[in-house]
Amino acid sequence: MFKYVLKRIALMLMVFLIIISICFVLVKLLPNTPATQFGKDMQLIEMRREALGYNKPLIVQYGIFLQKSLLGGNWGASESLYVGQDVWDIFISKLPATMLVNVYAMLFSVPIGLLLGIYAALKKNRWQDHLISTGIMVFVSVPGFVTAFFVQYFLCHKLQWFPMQMLPGDDYFTWAMFMSLVPAILSLGFGTIAGLARYTRAELCEVLTSDFMLLARTKGLTRGQATVRHALRNSMVPIFPMIIGEFIGIIGGSLIIEQIFGIPGVGPLYIKSITSRDYNFYMLLSSFYTFIGLSANILVDLSYGFIDPRIRMGER
Amino acid sequence: MSNTLRKVLSLLLAVAMLMSCAVVFAGCDNTDNDNPVVSGDQNVDDVPDEGDKEVDPNATYTYNTSASVFPTLWNPHTYQTATDAVPLDYTSVGFYTFDYNETLDGYKIVPEMAVAEPEDVTADYVGEEWGIAEGDTAKAWKITLRDDLKWNDGTPITANDFVKSAELLLNPAAQNYRADSLYSGSMVVHNAKNYLYAGQYAYSPMIDYGYAAVADLTVGEDGAYDTADGDLWFNLYDGVSWSSNSLTDYYNAGYTAEMTKDGVDLYATVLAANADEDGYVAVTAEVADALMFIVANLHGYADADAYAVDAGDYAYTEWNEFIQIGSTYPEMTFDAVGVKALNDTELVLIIDKPLEGFYLLYSLTGTWLVKNDLYESLITITDGVYNNTYGTSAETTPSYGPFVLESFQADKQMVFTKNDNWYGYTAYPGCYQTTSVVVDYVETAATRLELFLQGKLDTYGLDAADMQDYSKSEHTYYTTGDSTFFIALNPDLDALKSEQEKLGANKNKTILTIPEFRMALSFALNRAEFCLATSPVNNAAFGVFSSIIISDPDNGVAYRTTEQAKDVLVDFWALTDEIGEGKLYADKDEAIASITGYNLEMGKQYFDLAYDKAIEAGLMDEDDVIEIKIGQPNGTSNFYNNGYDFLVNNYTEAVKGTKLEGKLTFTKDDTLGNAFSDALKTNKVDMLFGVGWTGSALDPYGLMEAYTAPNYQYDPSWDTTTDMLTVNIDGTDYTASVIDWTYCIVGTPCTVTAADGTTMEYSCGTADGDPETRLAILAALEGAVLRTYDMIPIMDDSSAALKGMQIQYYTEDYIYGVGRGGIKYMTYNYTDTEWDAYVAENDGILNYK
Repeated sequence: MFKYVLKRIALMLMVFLIIISICFVLVKLLPNTPATQFGKDMQLIEMRREALGYNKPLIVQYGIFLQKSLLGGNWGASESLYVGQDVWDIFISKLPATMLVNVYAMLFSVPIGLLLGIYAALKKNRWQDHLISTGIMVFVSVPGFVTAFFVQYFLCHKLQWFPMQMLPGDDYFTWAMFMSLVPAILSLGFGTIAGLARYTRAELCEVLTSDFMLLARTKGLTRGQATVRHALRNSMVPIFPMIIGEFIGIIGGSLIIEQIFGIPGVGPLYIKSITSRDYNFYMLLSSFYTFIGLSANILVDLSYGFIDPRIRMGER
Repeated sequence: MSNTLRKVLSLLLAVAMLMSCAVVFAGCDNTDNDNPVVSGDQNVDDVPDEGDKEVDPNATYTYNTSASVFPTLWNPHTYQTATDAVPLDYTSVGFYTFDYNETLDGYKIVPEMAVAEPEDVTADYVGEEWGIAEGDTAKAWKITLRDDLKWNDGTPITANDFVKSAELLLNPAAQNYRADSLYSGSMVVHNAKNYLYAGQYAYSPMIDYGYAAVADLTVGEDGAYDTADGDLWFNLYDGVSWSSNSLTDYYNAGYTAEMTKDGVDLYATVLAANADEDGYVAVTAEVADALMFIVANLHGYADADAYAVDAGDYAYTEWNEFIQIGSTYPEMTFDAVGVKALNDTELVLIIDKPLEGFYLLYSLTGTWLVKNDLYESLITITDGVYNNTYGTSAETTPSYGPFVLESFQADKQMVFTKNDNWYGYTAYPGCYQTTSVVVDYVETAATRLELFLQGKLDTYGLDAADMQDYSKSEHTYYTTGDSTFFIALNPDLDALKSEQEKLGANKNKTILTIPEFRMALSFALNRAEFCLATSPVNNAAFGVFSSIIISDPDNGVAYRTTEQAKDVLVDFWALTDEIGEGKLYADKDEAIASITGYNLEMGKQYFDLAYDKAIEAGLMDEDDVIEIKIGQPNGTSNFYNNGYDFLVNNYTEAVKGTKLEGKLTFTKDDTLGNAFSDALKTNKVDMLFGVGWTGSALDPYGLMEAYTAPNYQYDPSWDTTTDMLTVNIDGTDYTASVIDWTYCIVGTPCTVTAADGTTMEYSCGTADGDPETRLAILAALEGAVLRTYDMIPIMDDSSAALKGMQIQYYTEDYIYGVGRGGIKYMTYNYTDTEWDAYVAENDGILNYK
């Protein structure tokens, strides 16, 4: 097992380096010439670009990036989005808001999604199942930002139950702040609930019709006991990694939801860093998300073994 | 899984479920909310009359506003955009400032941090050191500062602080983005640029010093050309003034044949072979000849001599646009720079170009002041790269203006409160009722509108989707901007031929070179409908300059109100013969008011005429289909997407019933990005729309260069060096090229020729004292731009905004420089407490329709 993990980590680092190298080259290939400004001393701008190393050969720039950022941990200052400010500091300062709203959304949606899925499976082909399945289809089909607009319009604007925007400040664990996050939590949560419920229902339905379930009942277990002890546990094998994956997505943020509800998070940063050619920011975010994504893959793979001991890692 | 683990997981699941339920039902706690129902029956009459109210000295008046883009850096030395400057609007003031004139229908510039108008002290600085000769005037100005200037922490501000701040601004190591504010505008501080570039070998575009033929150049010891200003350099990777694309870009894009002479690849053998590692090539006779040949070939001519048949001497100097002049700036100390403090309150600015009157005061409406000790503590130099985080947070933003930045959260909110150490609260009694300003970052327009309707914002900028509901609202205020947007066309025959050949048989683009075709595109364009389809708050445009552009800033005279400007419009739109007693229009104003720019019948006639001419000239076959490629910066902008659809439908309908019916088609390239503005120059597309220039509302004379100078033109195929223009000066008609007249009105002497062949050196800048002739030349140039039909004006930039009922503007009309009174004159109909109560009375949602 240990050997397997080490091997996976080594492979992960190799893939990480390849992805980051591709990202570096691709973003540098995008045209980045300063727009002509009427009456501006363009030479001044050119001198600054020279000082920032824009005119160095690509391979030299790549070497500097590897040495200074990837190995040295100095990701540099923002060049266009937050000019002059340390990109790591900016990223870290914006991460809590994103994580907070996403963690709340997961805590809200995972249990409800699981419960609805379980209930629909137990009531398969009855009106309760049809009702839940219809709701699931609606929320799976409707994009999150549409849900968000509905939530904002009805709950925040018409009914005025919640503030339209997340409150300013960093007092994240106050009741007022929580209330201001509820619309975003709901908007993020509905899609997850639907996805999770659909998956749980499908898995559980399949397990419930398995032979071992019949055996469990013939051994004298009640339907509830058989479901909780055998069916639920077996159906969780593919569902648990899915939940882990959802949690990993937390730090990626949500571009649209953050924009709509005024969450000063990291969601829009990635796209903005590309469109504004903020190389340092782009490379930090690319590295960060690539690392998290690859780590998550390992984590998900390893989680199978913990959930179901019959699954052995790295063995033939 | 062990039992313990199972129990822990079960417990966690239960807690999570409880939290879920809390989230679901949290909103329900407000079921007894007082304001759950939408109303909206209140109207502006409900607003109480402020005059009868007693003012509570402890009352608060908060101006709540929002921004869809948030500032990130407002260091006065490095900020780059108007958005970034927002905090400076509240936390700083200028030496002078715009204010209402006595009749509240215009502006004047009055002292702000200064106590009086600047005093001309040129005579005190005569000498070589300052480049001032005996008898010179308006080249050294003394500004006397108020003696009660302070930072928000109470630290006094002295004239020396301005000197030190200027030194920090021009710090050569910093390469501050706004360092050129002391030398690139109308105010050129002596030695400011030299100090900034001290000791560096720096390059400037050659044509900034003027064009030169090979015969005018001298050969240096190294065998390369140089001038008195420095050495000449060509760079493989820089198009300099010719294009944003370099010759290498052209070479790599396949223009190799154009760079090959007698079988020799000039790019490879003459240019690339002699380049240093940065791509610089010293300009020798061989290099100059090669460039001259390549430029002519890129224009479709066999060589420069053939090109000269059409372009005249320009054919032998156009290669200059690829050249930079390199020189080493001498080392110097800041003592040599023309910013001096005589004592704590007297500051002297010594400038290279005489400047006085309005433009002097206008140049001093801002300052470069920073809190020097804090500024220097925030400087870092990492791996040789200078950096400074001044003006990035509340802690790094000291104030010397009416407000202090109390808090700042990136991409969320900034809050300004009164600066108790600002002199203005005693100097301007009755003004600045606002006690705090809250700016929220709200990216989506729909959310901003909902917040506005809930009384949480005091203004809301309307967009296209809102106009149906609010265009007629009594709370809606319209403001004309200073930009005019155009359709720009590419009538370059060679470029069009080349692109046409790539499309294959029976495709045509070269009809764009027929002026009647471009005229047809102009007349057949329903500008009002275009505005409705793309940006309904904008107005249709019929000239190069909008109504907000001011041609006489001393007196606040708008260009479009002058007789010369009116003549341009009535002439261009062929209304001259329709004006007068017993004619269609009583006067020019009436005639101009009737202009729509849309005459479909005439458009159809010109389409037919263009077709006939194109057939006759062999530019088009009868079975050809015209294919015009329209450029867009991206495919996500509603403006460009709607605009493209509108243009396609508009012109497809317009050619029905003409000889071009079914023969006019369009394609688009919506991937241009930053290359959008250069896409015509580089022949990537045949048409751009929504293009123009902004930022020179007070200087249309300087702005004209944007339309006529090759380095700025969208369509460089209009050769303004050979297109001649005649202007009457003191009763005599004089002729010069369009580009010469352009430079003439900014004070550069040019040679003008009378009908009898006599010539004279003539300039007509601000200092030449002939504003009427200057205006006449500007109007003539505007006419020349319009008559090319390469730049077809389509709309003037305007905006519309709803004003909340809590606040009151000082004037209903928008006045340049002061707007509607700004934060200084803004008054409040309600205190914050009253406003909250008023909104609650109206069920939490206000009606502004």
